[in-house]
Amino acid sequence: MASSFKGVNLFGSGPHRFAMAGQGMRAISLAAVADDPTVEGSAWFGDLELEVHVRGRLVAASESALWTLRDAITAQADSDNTPVPGTLIDLHGRTWTSMSLYRYEEAGSVDRGRVWSVGYLCRFRQFIGT
Amino acid sequence: MLVLNPRQVTFGSATWGNVASVSIGRTSNKLLAEWSDEGAHVVLADVPEQLVTVRVVQEMLGDDMDTPKPGESGELTFTTGANSSDAATREVTIASAVVRTVSYETSTSRGSRRYIELIAVSSNGTTDPVSVDDA
Repeated sequence: MASSFKGVNLFGSGPHRFAMAGQGMRAISLAAVADDPTVEGSAWFGDLELEVHVRGRLVAASESALWTLRDAITAQADSDNTPVPGTLIDLHGRTWTSMSLYRYEEAGSVDRGRVWSVGYLCRFRQFIGT
Repeated sequence: MLVLNPRQVTFGSATWGNVASVSIGRTSNKLLAEWSDEGAHVVLADVPEQLVTVRVVQEMLGDDMDTPKPGESGELTFTTGANSSDAATREVTIASAVVRTVSYETSTSRGSRRYIELIAVSSNGTTDPVSVDDA
């Protein structure tokens, strides 16, 4: 099945893979909390926010078609859309709700071979504080 | 592309004689191979950067003091033909070729040979640097 975000197939032009970021709790040095380097040990604080990464390659038949694919993703990552979370679904139907696409990064230059393509990394997070 | 016994090879203003062969190789300078979450096999492969190299092999009959030097640039042309007649003769042109290496081999059985390797340069990145026309 195709992956999607908010019901839109953003990544289907090329291969892409889903990965979970760190999960669990955050361990912080008590010395840092107390601002005292003599304090020993550490403590855990609240669960990390759920984060999912999608890494892949957008593929198009022309320069303009590739820009269309890139613009569709960056439009979801800008401040107009990021506060509005949606459902992220991977290639096997795994679903994460209330996810926000908060960053889109390209992996270097556009490659112009048989096709136009560019690698990318999209970071989705389930923000708790917003 | 391999051309055995080309009739004449010119590089810029120089004419190279006794050429045994000219070969044009193409290698990927950057290879894209991508996998998906569906399985073990590559689902996208592409070569967005390729390197076209030309190798000229010359039989050397004596000393060689006037050699091309790495970095030198010029138009490289040579003609091909199935035999010594003019039938089916074609001309291969590389508008801009840059000398990469010059080396020699000396053998009691094969004599002396000079190997010149050049890089074919495209005029704009899209156009193939090698053109073949009927002579």
